[in-house]
Amino acid sequence: MPIFTVEVIIENKKMARDPEGETIARELVSRGGFSEVKSIRAGKYLRLHVQATDSEEAERIVNKMSNTLRLFNPVVHNCTIRVRGETE
Amino acid sequence: MKTAVVRFPGSNCDLDVFHVLKDVLKLEADLVWHRDFAGEEYDSVVLPGGFSYGDYLRAGTIAAHSPAMEQVRVMAKEGKPVIGICNGFQILIESGLLPGALLRNECLAFVCKWVKVRVETSDTVFTRAIQKGAVLDMPIAHAEGRYVNDPEGLKELDENGQVVFRYVNNQSVPSEDSNPNGSMDCVAGICNEDRNVVGLMPHPERASEPILSPFSNSDGLRILAALRG
Amino acid sequence: MNIPRLEATRLKVNLTFDELIEARKRLGREPNEVELGMIDVMWSEHCSYKSSRRLLQKLPKSGKRVIVGPGYDSGVVDIGDGDVIAFKIESHNHPSAIEPYNGAATGIGGIIRDILCMNCRPIGLLDSLRFGSLDSGHSRWLFNNVVRGIADYGNCTGIPTVSGEIEFDESFETNCIVNVACIGQGRAETLTLGRMDNPGDIIVLVGGATGRDGVHGVTFASRVITEESELDRPAVQIGDPFTKKLVIEATLEALRTGKVTAVKDLGGGGLTCALSEMSSKGGTGVQVDLEKIHVREEGMSPYELLLSESQERILFTVAPEGEEVFKILRKWGLAYSVIGKVTASGRIVAKFRGEVVVDIPSELLTNSPIPRRIARRPKTTREKRAKAQSMSDLSQALCNLLSMPNIACKEYVYRQYDHEVGVRTILKPGDADAAVLRVIGADKAVAVKVDCNSSYCFLDPYNGHALAVAEAARNVVATGAVPIAMTDCCNFGNPEKPEVYWQFKEAIDGMGYMLRGLNIPCVGGNVSFYNEDERTGRAVKPSTAIVMLGLIERLNLVTSMALKRAGESIVLIGKTFRELGGSQYSRLTGNQHSNPPRAVASRERSSIRAVIEAIRGGYVTAAHDCSEGGLAVALAEMAIKGNLGLTVDLGAIPHKASMKPDEVLFSESSARFILTTTEEHAGKLLSLVRGRGVAAAKIGEVSTLDFKVVTENETLICCPIERLRNAWQTAIPELVKVN
Repeated sequence: MPIFTVEVIIENKKMARDPEGETIARELVSRGGFSEVKSIRAGKYLRLHVQATDSEEAERIVNKMSNTLRLFNPVVHNCTIRVRGETE
Repeated sequence: MKTAVVRFPGSNCDLDVFHVLKDVLKLEADLVWHRDFAGEEYDSVVLPGGFSYGDYLRAGTIAAHSPAMEQVRVMAKEGKPVIGICNGFQILIESGLLPGALLRNECLAFVCKWVKVRVETSDTVFTRAIQKGAVLDMPIAHAEGRYVNDPEGLKELDENGQVVFRYVNNQSVPSEDSNPNGSMDCVAGICNEDRNVVGLMPHPERASEPILSPFSNSDGLRILAALRG
Repeated sequence: MNIPRLEATRLKVNLTFDELIEARKRLGREPNEVELGMIDVMWSEHCSYKSSRRLLQKLPKSGKRVIVGPGYDSGVVDIGDGDVIAFKIESHNHPSAIEPYNGAATGIGGIIRDILCMNCRPIGLLDSLRFGSLDSGHSRWLFNNVVRGIADYGNCTGIPTVSGEIEFDESFETNCIVNVACIGQGRAETLTLGRMDNPGDIIVLVGGATGRDGVHGVTFASRVITEESELDRPAVQIGDPFTKKLVIEATLEALRTGKVTAVKDLGGGGLTCALSEMSSKGGTGVQVDLEKIHVREEGMSPYELLLSESQERILFTVAPEGEEVFKILRKWGLAYSVIGKVTASGRIVAKFRGEVVVDIPSELLTNSPIPRRIARRPKTTREKRAKAQSMSDLSQALCNLLSMPNIACKEYVYRQYDHEVGVRTILKPGDADAAVLRVIGADKAVAVKVDCNSSYCFLDPYNGHALAVAEAARNVVATGAVPIAMTDCCNFGNPEKPEVYWQFKEAIDGMGYMLRGLNIPCVGGNVSFYNEDERTGRAVKPSTAIVMLGLIERLNLVTSMALKRAGESIVLIGKTFRELGGSQYSRLTGNQHSNPPRAVASRERSSIRAVIEAIRGGYVTAAHDCSEGGLAVALAEMAIKGNLGLTVDLGAIPHKASMKPDEVLFSESSARFILTTTEEHAGKLLSLVRGRGVAAAKIGEVSTLDFKVVTENETLICCPIERLRNAWQTAIPELVKVN
C-alpha cells in the first residue's frame, strides 16, 4: 500500500486571539523593519506519513485520529488537514 | 561598582535579583528598563529570569533583538562582568554571546525544584571565590533549559574550561538522575572565552538567604557576591 | 403594564417575566435594546449573586484586622506595620470543563486582576481542583490541561503557585471544579477601592483591544451572523499571560504616581459591570463615548462594546492632568483609550456616533431583585450498610491509602509550578499543611491554604462545610500561624432546585457556625452555581473551597511537618472517635460507615489555641494536621518528609476501648494535630495543652528505623520508609501515565 504525506496544522480559531503570533509580529518582525509583513498567526504543524489505499483514505484516517485523540480542541482551535501526495 | 539589572517586558525575577543586590549584598544597583539601558554607566550587568516577550517563538529570541543587548555586547567586550540567569541565560545564547542552544526540557514540562550544581571552574569572574568542585544548592524553574551543542562545540567548551556548572547527584557526580532537563553532559551553566560572561539555568538569587533554602544555606550568594568587584 | 416587546428587539434575554417588569418599573420607561442587554447581564446570577446574596450576609465579616470586607474586588486584612494582604478566590469551572487549558489560564488571569485593583502586588496563587477519577481518559485530559494552563499562565506572570488541593471523585467527571485564589501584598495607606468617588476624573480603558468575545446569544438586525462566523469564534478565550504581566507592572507603576484614583478589572459583564459597580459604589455616574474604545473587530455595536468580555483589559479612573499615567502605559507598550469621565449624575450615559444610546441609573444595574428560592432537604435514600470489614494487613492498608489519589503526593502537579519566584516562599508545596510566604524586610510571614472535602460536604452540607473551615484553619495553625481571615468559593448545582438550594443554605450556616466559633471573619467570596451535567442533570457534590489566611508573628515560629530528629517525642492533640463516614479508608474498603467526623467549634478552638501557644512557647519541632486518611497517614507523611522512622503505641492514643485498631488509625476525627517535641520539652508541652482542657498524649518516638505501630503484645504496622514513600510518590505519575 502506498504511503502518503499528510500535514496537520492546528491554529487558534480565526476570531480568537493569538498572543504568540501577535507578539512575534509586533515585537520582532515589525520592530526589525519588515513592515511588509502585516500579520502573523502561530500554530502547530505536524507532518505524518500514512499508509492508505488512496489520498482520500489517508485524509479520512488523519481526520478521525485528530478528532478521537483530541489533537485539537474544537472549542478554540481550527484544524487543517492537507494530503501532500505519496511519499517517495 | 555599580550593577544594572535589565528589565525586559516579561522579566519576572528582576525584583528578586534587585532585592538580593540591594538588601542582602548592599551593592549599588539599578533596575533599568531595557530601552533606557546605557552600558557605560555600569560596571556589571545582570539579565534576570522570567518570560521576556512571553517566551514566544523561542525563549530569549525576541529580547536578544532589544537595543539593550547591543549595550551588553559592548560591556562583554570591555571585560565587564555579565551574568544571565535562566531567561537571561537564554537571551545570552540567543544573542550569540554564549555558544549552544537551550531547548525544551526532555520531560516536556516546566520543572521547578531544588538541584545540586557543582562548580567546574574557579576561573570565571563569578566563581573565582568558589573552590572548583564545590557543590551548591539552588532551585531551577524553567521549561526550556536543556543545554545542547554539537559534539565538537561541547568538547571545545569542556577543554577550554567553559563549562562552569554541572547538575550533580548527592554524591556530587553528574548522573542521569541528577539531570533535571536532559542537558548534554549535565551542563547547567557556561561562560564565554574571556570568562566574564556567565549564563546559568539555576537561580542564585532564590538561594541567597538561608530562610529560603531547604538546606538553610545561601549558596547562591557566593555567585552574586562577585558583583562586589 | 406591558412587558418589553421582545420580538421587536430580537434580543434573547434570560430575565424572567417578573424581572422584566421590575426593570421597566425602576427605569420608568421601556429599556432600549442596549439597556435591556445590560440589565440582563447585570441581573444574571454571575454578576448579581441574586440567589446567594441574602444568605452570604449571614457570614461573620468583621474583625479588628479587616480593612476591606465583602463587596469589593478582594478582601483586605491588616498584618501590622501598615502592611496589608489582599486575597480572593474565584471559580472558572464552566470554561475549564470544555477547554481546560485556556479555561484554567484565563481563570488565573481574572483573579490576578482582582488583587491588582486594590493596589496590591500579587505574591502567590493557590488552586483548588476537583476532577473525576483518573481512571477516566476524559478526567486525565481535563486534569493534565488544567494543570498546564495554570502553570503556563502563573509561571509567565511571575507569581508563584504556592499551594493548593486536588480531589478526585466521580461526581466531577463532566463538571470539573477549577477554583483559583490569589494573594497580594500592599500598604494600608495606598490601597485603592474599585469605586468612582470623584466627578471629573477621566475613565481610561487599558490593555487588550475589545472584540466580540463572550457576546453570545444576541441577534441584531444590524449584524447578520452566519454560521461560519460563529464557527470562527472560540467559546473560551485564549489566555495571554505576557500581556497580563505588562498590565500588572504598568498598573502598579501607574498607581505609584498617585494620579490613578481607582482600578477595576473587566471580567464577566465587561465594561457594563465595571462602570456600573464603580459608579454605584461611589454614588456617581459616568458619561462615556463608545466610539473611543480601541477595538479589535470592525463594526462593533454599542451593545457589543458594552458587553464584550475580551481578556486582559482593566479600567482606570485618572485625575485630570494624568499625562504621566499615559506615559507609563506607553512605556509598557499597552494600548489604552480615554473613553469618558465620571459625573455626579448617578447614571450610566453612553454615546455612540453622537447619539445617547444608554441612559440608566447605575444603581438599577447593580441592585438586582432577589428571586424567591426554596430550600428543601433532599430525601435521603439510606444506603444499605454493609458490615464494616477490617483489613487484616494494616501495613498494606496504610500503603494503599497513601497511594489513593486524594492522599498521594501531588509533586507531579507542583513541579510544574514556579513556587519560588518572588523570593518569599519559606515553606514550599509539600513541606507543610499550608504555604508560608515571608514579608520581605520584616520578621513576619503569612500562611495560606485552600481546602475542602466534598465527601463530607455531600454527606451533610452543614457539618461538612464547618469541617472545611476548621481544617483550613488547622492547616495554617500547624505552620505556626494565627488564622486571621478567610474567603470562600462555593460550587453547587442549580439553585432553582430546592434540594440544591438547601445544600447551599446549610453550607453557609455550617461555615458561619465554625467561623464564629473560631472568631475568623469572612472577607469575601465567590459563588458558582449550575455545576451540573447538562445531559443527566446530575450536580457535582457541593463543595466550598475555603482559603484561610494566617499570620506568623515571628519567623522563628515557622513550623514544617517533617520529622526532625530521632529520639523526639510524638504528641497527639485531640481525641480520636469512631468517625469513618466519608473517610478515605471507607472508600478504600468499600465500607459504608455512617459516622462522618463531627464538627464541634469549641473543640476546634481549644485545639487550635493550644497548638498556637505550644509553638509560641518554642516546644514544637514539627506539626501536622490530622485529616484525610487519619492518624496513620499523617504520621506517614511526616516520616516520609523527614526521612525518619517512628514507633507509635496504639494503646497510648486516647480512644474508646471498643474501637478496632484500624478504626483508631484511619478515623478522620477533626480537631486533631500531631506535634513532635524534644524530650526536654515533652512534659511542658503536655501540661500546657492539657491545661487548656485539650486531650494530649505522648504516643511514640521518632526513630532512625522503620515506621512502626505496636500494641503491648503485637506489631500492627511495620514498614520501611522507602515502601511508604514509594506508595505515596508513584501513585499519581502512574495514573497519568508518565514515568
